[in-house]
Order: sequence, then C-alpha cells, then structure tokens
Amino acid sequence: MTRSVTWDLVKKDWWLYRLHIVISTAAGVAALGLCFRGGEVAGVIGGVWIFTALVIVACMLPVSAIVNERKKQHLPFVMSLPVSVREYTAAKLVSSVGMFLMPWLVLVVATVALIEVRGFLPKGSIPFAVIVLLLPFVGFCLITGSALVGESEGWTIAATVACNSSYWLAWFLIARTPGLMNLAKGHTAVWNGQLLWIVAAELGVIAGTLALTFFLQSRKRDFV
Amino acid sequence: MNGLAIDLRGVGKKYKFFSLDRIHLQVPEGQIMGLIGPNGAGKSTTIRILMGLVHQDCGEAIVLGRRMPEEQIPAKWDIGFASEDMRLYDAMTVAWHLQFIASMYPGWDRAYAQLLLKRFGLQAEQVVRGLSHGQRVKAMLLLVLARKPKLLVLDEPTTGLDPVARHEVLRELTAVMKDEGRTILFSSHNTQDVEQISDTITFIDRGRIIDSMDKEMYLDRWRRLRLEVPSGERLPALPGIIGVRQEGRLAILTANAFEPGLANEYESRGARVQAIETMTLEEIFVANVERSRVDCGEEVEA
Repeated sequence: MTRSVTWDLVKKDWWLYRLHIVISTAAGVAALGLCFRGGEVAGVIGGVWIFTALVIVACMLPVSAIVNERKKQHLPFVMSLPVSVREYTAAKLVSSVGMFLMPWLVLVVATVALIEVRGFLPKGSIPFAVIVLLLPFVGFCLITGSALVGESEGWTIAATVACNSSYWLAWFLIARTPGLMNLAKGHTAVWNGQLLWIVAAELGVIAGTLALTFFLQSRKRDFV
Repeated sequence: MNGLAIDLRGVGKKYKFFSLDRIHLQVPEGQIMGLIGPNGAGKSTTIRILMGLVHQDCGEAIVLGRRMPEEQIPAKWDIGFASEDMRLYDAMTVAWHLQFIASMYPGWDRAYAQLLLKRFGLQAEQVVRGLSHGQRVKAMLLLVLARKPKLLVLDEPTTGLDPVARHEVLRELTAVMKDEGRTILFSSHNTQDVEQISDTITFIDRGRIIDSMDKEMYLDRWRRLRLEVPSGERLPALPGIIGVRQEGRLAILTANAFEPGLANEYESRGARVQAIETMTLEEIFVANVERSRVDCGEEVEA
C-alpha cells in the first residue's frame, strides 16, 4: 500500500474546524457590511472589526487544530495511521493555511472591492489595506509554526502575545514611514518600490516560517 | 521477512532520567507476546520505537520486514495500534470515526465493524464525549480490529477498565487470536490480562529485558519451595534457585528452573520439604524484577 493519507488528514481538519471558519468569515462579512453603510466612523469601526476577526482566527486555529490535538491526546490516534511526522506536518500546514485563507481571501478581496466600488476610503489606501491585512497572515504562520515545533501551549501563547502586540507596532511604523501616508490619500492605488518591498517582506516571512516549520518538524526524533 | 513480525536488535534510547538499554526483542509471526513491566519500565518507549514515533539512538528496529522509523508509512498500513493514552475526537460520533478510518483502509471490514459495534454495546451515533472510558477503549479497538491488521500493537489497552469491560475486550482479543496469521504485542502491568491471552511473555524493567519465555514454560519452571531447615543451618542457593529467604528454621526458595532433583538435593542436606508450590505469573514477574534489580546491585526489600 503506497497511498498517502495526507489529504485525508487535511479533509479531517477542515471538517472538524469548519465552524471556526464559518463564524470568522461571517463576522468579517458583518464588519464589511458596516463599512458598506458608508460614513467615516462606520468605515473605521468596520475596518477594525475585519482586522480583529482575522487576528482571532490567527490565534484560534493553531490552538484548536494543533495545541488541543496534542493536549487532548488525539495525536497518538492520528500518528497510529500510516503517516510520518513529515506527512503529518505537511497535512497540518496545508489544512491550517487553507482554513485561514478562506476568511482571509474573502475579506481581503471584499475590502479591496469595497474601496474600489464604494469609495468609502481613497483608492490610494488599497496597498495599505493589503499590507495591513497581510499582518494577521504573518502572525498566523508564526503562531502555527510555534505550536507545531514548540509542542506546547506555553510556546503558542508566547507567540500569540508577541504577534498580537507587534501588529500595532507594525501599523505605527507603516504610518510613520515618510511619504507613504500621502500615497494612501491619493485617488489611485500606487504600488511604489517601498510598498512592494513591505509586501515582499511579509510574504517572505510567511514562506520562510512555513518552510522552517517543515524543516524543524522533519528533523524531530521524538514526536509523541 | 525472516518470519519475525517484530525484530528489535540492540535498540537503545537515552532520556534524561531513563534509558532503554540496547534491548533485543523478537516476535515471530502469528505469536501473541505479552510485554509486562512496572510503570516506567520502558514498555511504551519500546512500542513507540517500533511504531516509528520515537527514533532509537542505536540498534535496529524491523517491523513486518520494514525498517523503523524510515519505513514507518508502509509498515503502519498493516499495524493496528491502540494505546492507553490515545483519545478519539470527543466532539465527533463513533460513526464519524468509523467513516474516517474506513475511507482510508481498503481492507476495512464493514460487516465485522457492525458486529463489533453490537458486541461492544456501542451506538454508532453516540458522540465520543458521552462515552464512558470503557466504551472509548472499545471504540478504539473496534477501529483497529476492523482494519484487519497483520500486527496488533496494544499498549496497556485494559488500563482503567472495569471488570466487565475488561472481560469484553479480552474476549474479543481472544477471538481475534483465532486468526493464526496475526501477531499481537500486548503490553500491560496487569499480569492476569497478559496471562489470559499471551503465548510468550517478556518481562521488562528499568529499560532492560529481564526475561522472555513461553508462558507455559514460565509456569512449569517456576516454583516456590517451603523448607524446614535444621536450626543454625543456612541453605545455599543451588543452581536453578534465584532467591533464598530464611527466617529461623523456615526457608522459602524461589526456583526459576525447577526440577524434582532440587528438592532431593536440599533434603540430602538435612532440610525437610514442606511444600512445593506453583507460582502465578504475577509472582514470577515480581521475583524476576527483584532478581534483576539485585543483579544490578540494588537493594530489594524483603
């Protein structure tokens, strides 16, 4: 028998944690609805809610799908199946990233579309929206990597605290970068070198974290 | 494959406070081996190594002809593993678990799974959270048995079960044993359970295999001799005697290679044999552990 069970494990996670995805997506869509009502205050509150919904998913998913699986002793059951640590890690990363991407993509696309169509913010803010919404994705990958590699609730909480407190610092740094905020007020979306560099850095951290997680997991000698 | 379902050669694993000491363990195909040891003896570490979940520091682990941990994926298709620390997903039903496993294993026997559901008194629609400990263990065993694995590895499966649930689980394992091609490794610190189903028994203590033998041979060869000794005499430990406990004129000897000539030998030295008693597996196990610890220079309380 050579069939891989990786995809079975991915489907299992998507089924087990489907409610997380539905609720977080619904919360994000509700926040978008608030933005859709128009007005600066509603737009700001809606924007914060969208970001908060993504931050919550970024924290909740690794805890439910990784930390609790180990804590509640489901992991020995999973590892009794024809799967190695490497395959288990691949399945976990694919299922977790996939689950996160569902609400994330919906909210990013909807936010960009809303700015583009409704114009409740200047179109110049689109690159900033993308950069800001990439932050929870970065945080999610860091928390997921810590949960998998650290194998403990403590490491996961530490990573969550570090990420959640860093979002505001990242916002602050972006806002203070000379010249960038003027672009955000423009009537067209401009992707200059500085903005592209920030996006590339975010994507680099995401890819690097996932690759490092896979590498470190593959080298583990004791797993359960 | 060389006729061995499990072949551990010089397997060692070092932790901060525990070491598995280059153990050798061979389980021929079709055999049911009981692995008995006190808590912390190394049973679970041994089993995790042969399941590929823990990598040994030295030695070779071959299971169903596959090297572990490198070839754990193909090997695990034919291994049914259940351990005491394994839990099903508590929010899901038994039926969901059955479907999950059945979708992966082409050899899944639906009719047998239904039969086991009935025998174990389980309802497919029951949520795992609402099951008792005994029902959870039975559900776990059902998921393992209905795959029809060539090798069953059970790590303390009866721990914490009430007598009725234990009886049901052991009865089902006994039924499974009728399939002579199936090998079972059953670990426990409960000697009664192991005695009930095993052909061969291996004792493990403090990371070392201290004895391994056919069950009947253990029961045949181990005896307790009660002797009355002339006052002032101390009895020697003749070959085949592993323990002598003497208080005043009464001596209790433990033999691990008993033969009638032993009693005659002590009688020729002036002792009077009061009784020659068979020993239970538990008594053999305890005596074995004590002897092993004495051999290692440890003091054992009388």
